[in-house]
Amino acid sequence: MTRPFYGLTIALTAILLLFLGWWNLFAWSVIPIQAQDVWLSLTHFDSQSISHRIVQDLRLPRLLTAMLVGACLATAGTIMQGLTRNPLAAPSVLGINAGAALGMALVSTLPVLYGASSTSLAAMIGGGVAWLLVMLLGSSWRIGGNERGRLVLAGVAISALCAALTKAVVIMEEDQAAGVLTWLAGSLADARWQTWQHYWPFALAGLFGALLLTPSLNLLQLGEEHARNLGVNLLRSKLFGSFLVLLLVGTTISAVGSIGFIGLIVPHMARLLVGQDFRIFLPVAMLLGATLVTLADTLSRAISYPMETPAGAILALIGAPFFIYLVRKRTL
Amino acid sequence: MSLSAHKLSVGYHGQTIVKEMNLTLPDGKFIALLGPNGCGKSTLLKCFARILPAMSGEARWQGKNLHHYPSKQLSKELALLPQTQPIPEGIKVKDLVAYGRSPYTGFWGKLNQQDHQVVEQMMQQTGTFELKEKLVSELSGGQRQRVWLAMVLAQDTPYLLLDEPTTYMDINHQVELMHQLQILNQQGKTIITVLHDINQAARYCDHLVVMKSGELKYQGSPEEVLTSAMLQNVFSLQAQIHRDPVSNTPMCVVEDRSPPSPQHKD
Amino acid sequence: MTAQRFFPIAVITLLLLALANLMFGAVSLSVEEVWSGLYASSENHFTIYEYRLPRIFLAILVGAGLALSGALVQGVIRNPLASPDVLGVSHGAGLAAVCYMTFFSGASTRWLPEVALTGGILAALVLWYLCGARSSAIKLAITGVALAALWASCIDFLMLTKPLEINNALLWLTGSLWGRGWTQLQALLPWFALIPLALGLSKYLNLLDLGDDSAISLGARPPYLRLLALAIAVALTAACVSICGPIGFLGLVAPHLTRKLVGGRHQPLLPATMLTGACLLLAADLAARTLDPPIELPAGILTAIIGAPYFLWLLLRMK
Repeated sequence: MTRPFYGLTIALTAILLLFLGWWNLFAWSVIPIQAQDVWLSLTHFDSQSISHRIVQDLRLPRLLTAMLVGACLATAGTIMQGLTRNPLAAPSVLGINAGAALGMALVSTLPVLYGASSTSLAAMIGGGVAWLLVMLLGSSWRIGGNERGRLVLAGVAISALCAALTKAVVIMEEDQAAGVLTWLAGSLADARWQTWQHYWPFALAGLFGALLLTPSLNLLQLGEEHARNLGVNLLRSKLFGSFLVLLLVGTTISAVGSIGFIGLIVPHMARLLVGQDFRIFLPVAMLLGATLVTLADTLSRAISYPMETPAGAILALIGAPFFIYLVRKRTL
Repeated sequence: MSLSAHKLSVGYHGQTIVKEMNLTLPDGKFIALLGPNGCGKSTLLKCFARILPAMSGEARWQGKNLHHYPSKQLSKELALLPQTQPIPEGIKVKDLVAYGRSPYTGFWGKLNQQDHQVVEQMMQQTGTFELKEKLVSELSGGQRQRVWLAMVLAQDTPYLLLDEPTTYMDINHQVELMHQLQILNQQGKTIITVLHDINQAARYCDHLVVMKSGELKYQGSPEEVLTSAMLQNVFSLQAQIHRDPVSNTPMCVVEDRSPPSPQHKD
Repeated sequence: MTAQRFFPIAVITLLLLALANLMFGAVSLSVEEVWSGLYASSENHFTIYEYRLPRIFLAILVGAGLALSGALVQGVIRNPLASPDVLGVSHGAGLAAVCYMTFFSGASTRWLPEVALTGGILAALVLWYLCGARSSAIKLAITGVALAALWASCIDFLMLTKPLEINNALLWLTGSLWGRGWTQLQALLPWFALIPLALGLSKYLNLLDLGDDSAISLGARPPYLRLLALAIAVALTAACVSICGPIGFLGLVAPHLTRKLVGGRHQPLLPATMLTGACLLLAADLAARTLDPPIELPAGILTAIIGAPYFLWLLLRMK
């Protein structure tokens, strides 16, 4: 493929993202919002108009968060697939989502741990422990020990374990349960400016870091031996990559809850569009992830209008068949 | 003449491997099925063992279509030792050998006095009696092969089919097994085995069946079958036939490989 | 441990666990109070007779049923990672039950086992279609868990989009024995007529351990045998799921544990597995009710907390 083609893909995705974002701001609102109100609320804000207030206070932070969530999860999935050279790797498949959720559940329900750390730090630690366990059990840290199926099954088992523990913790501390259950489902409905403010600095830092990692990810695809010969510091790349994944996933989950399968699907879509070079397909993956989550968030208001369906539930519905398709296609 | 093939074609996935074969296997002999890879010797054996159905024609038992007999009745007549055996988990040697009595036991699989006797006798005969309390998964490869043989013998059938029993064995275990089979044959069992080693077949067996490309080429005693002409035609080998100094059976010594003939497809 | 020693020990354990289940809970009772509670005149009659007793019977039946289906599936597929819940059958059955209850609100729960059975069979067929007969152990397990995830996300989706019916459906799907009584026990009991049939397969399941070729030569017919054993396993799983919801990992752990203790012959293995399963679920339910009374945890959570590490251990040990 030629360079202009990459540019075209990126430009088209960006245009699609902008269009969907604009649509997201007014579509399926319980209180009707006109399309032109969206524009007016941005240029000539009128604090008396309810629709302006909704766009400014509710829709805009929600849209921005959705975009950032998509970019972060897609990036995390890309890094994980690059590090493990496993097409099935993704935060939700390999137990990071469930681990992060457990971490948050522990911090927000157990009195002993109250205020011990912020929820996003707890999510990072929980996700990190789960990821470490999966990698150890799936024998992926060992050189050459790269058994794809085993890694995935280890992830599934760790997920099941974390999910059971989370449920147990939530049920035992009933007064906190409602709040915890909401973000377990992974919904953007509660994203406000406050969420956004806590979220964007870490998320952007993570995304920037991921871009720096792309050259070594490219070399890693040749196999660990070759990558080492070509001067990649394997341990440092893996540690840095894992840290980025945890940062991205941990902050995302603490902001909007556990949203699955974006990290699995989007890297494959991006690779299909622009090929194997991480330096190019990572940005495309970020844009695609943002587009997909924005779309899912719009649908989350549409599906059982006027009720909200968590975007995470919609994405899981798309993601699981895709996962099955991948398992079928690859030889494990 | 209990086992025979009549215009029998067998194959997998719609591909015919054994082609319209007519063959009668003599009773009471130690029979080797020989031929180059892909000639259909294992496929033929599997059809006789009811693992593969006939595509056309018939595999016959006592003159009637083998696949029309009730499965349980035939399992008292024909036993099969497959080429590779899985390693069952948590099964003791005596249990595995006792599984060979399944055709004779009731629905719960309980052994009676006679079954116990047969099981013990077969373990003695194959030298596995002292292993009987061990788990099959703990045995060495050679021991496992003997245990499986004991299981197949416990089935107590007049016919024994073996699919390349010596292929993955050390030479000492090969000799031991062939010797054992020879004794069983002398006790009255008809033994039909797929083999790779022509000299081994000529040394131990008394009837050789040679196949090529799904067709029967030669059949008869080692003296009749093991000739330079046969080796040339079937295996494309130039070989001399000598006498085995120990057993006085024919044996081949390869001179050179002939230039490949155009119709040779293996 | 031999089978002869296993059975008495397991039966005694089962009885002790049952007694403990009668004694402990939100209210703890002494042995005498439990005994007198069996009679209608006692003040504890309601707790004992209407609440704890049917629940114990249910735990025993469901535990035994799930463990037996696990043993059948493992025997047939010769895959140490296989069990109805790993293969997505449990969640398929659960999805069918939730669909039935959300789309036909007000329909009688009488038909729930049959509906769940249909779902379980469909889930098994989908897996069969996707994998075929000759998949590797790991591929089958991954496809199975992926399907389970798909069914689970469909369940989540339904519960989130149809929140009015959610309570009803949720009650069935937590993998819990809470609130189940004599009615559910009656619905479940007919399905256990399948157990003698399953035990009757023991001899032939043994032969399947030897590989298909040997099994045929010994007079078994593997395709029919597989179909029959899987059908029984799916039916038992579906019946249990329709009462309690998916109780994870029990069908995986119980047969493994039992095979370690009594060996791989199916004649002792199948009944022993049922005992182990019953004991495990009784223990899980006891813990679920007594960890933090009066709050009850679903027993399925506890089986998952024990079962998931066990699954990992199996995975590590596999060559």
